[in-house]
Amino acid sequence: MAFTATMSEERELAIHPIVQTSVQHNTQVVSNIRNLTASLFGVAAGTLGLESYPGFIFYLVGTLIVSGLIFAFRTEGKPSEYFHRPFGDLWGGDVFSGLSSFVLTWTLFYGLVRA
Amino acid sequence: MPFLGTALNTAGLLFLTHAVYSTHEHTATFAHTPLPLDITIELLVSILILSAGIVVSSPQLKPIQWAKWAGKIQRGGRHSEGKWTREGEEVLSEGDPYAFLGLDGGIGGKGEGRRGFWDVRGKRKEYAHWAKTGGKQ
Repeated sequence: MAFTATMSEERELAIHPIVQTSVQHNTQVVSNIRNLTASLFGVAAGTLGLESYPGFIFYLVGTLIVSGLIFAFRTEGKPSEYFHRPFGDLWGGDVFSGLSSFVLTWTLFYGLVRA
Repeated sequence: MPFLGTALNTAGLLFLTHAVYSTHEHTATFAHTPLPLDITIELLVSILILSAGIVVSSPQLKPIQWAKWAGKIQRGGRHSEGKWTREGEEVLSEGDPYAFLGLDGGIGGKGEGRRGFWDVRGKRKEYAHWAKTGGKQ
């Protein structure tokens, strides 16, 4: 089953080849946006005084909104044109790499503003 | 589009700064009371505006399917800035990352990518001369 799946994917790639530099460029753009917005959400979460799970839920909701913005403004509603796996690369791409900068600014602003 | 992105970013930053400052003032005056609704709304709106501004001012994505990508180049020419390989792919890296070492490196440079050996004998001769003249130049 897996064998046939990889075969069909390979054939698909042979028919519609993919430009590697464009993939790289798109991944870079998405991870840039994620890093910037993650620290921004950290500022908001810390200022709102969120603690524990609500903070992480806030981050997840925020990244979802940012993914929606990328979907609307950058891919013009056709993510499969710009991402090989739209679900993994656009909606789920780099979500957890931004988490550390989120926690950093979250704790910083919580300490600065609320504590 | 760059104007819209800059405008959104500026407005978002202003609102965000104001909201954070208001929160700070509020907690300094009335500690351990919930945040007023208007500050919360301002904060959330500023975050939304800022992330929209960040997304809008980010560079355009490029189509990954060869056919569409080639078609775009056919139609618009290789208008985007940056370097291109002879095959038409864009060079994404920014040249030699170790240029700051001053080795005049690699592919684009004029040298052969490494500094020559240190001339030990020459330096020793120089030192001997310097010592013989009593430490003066």
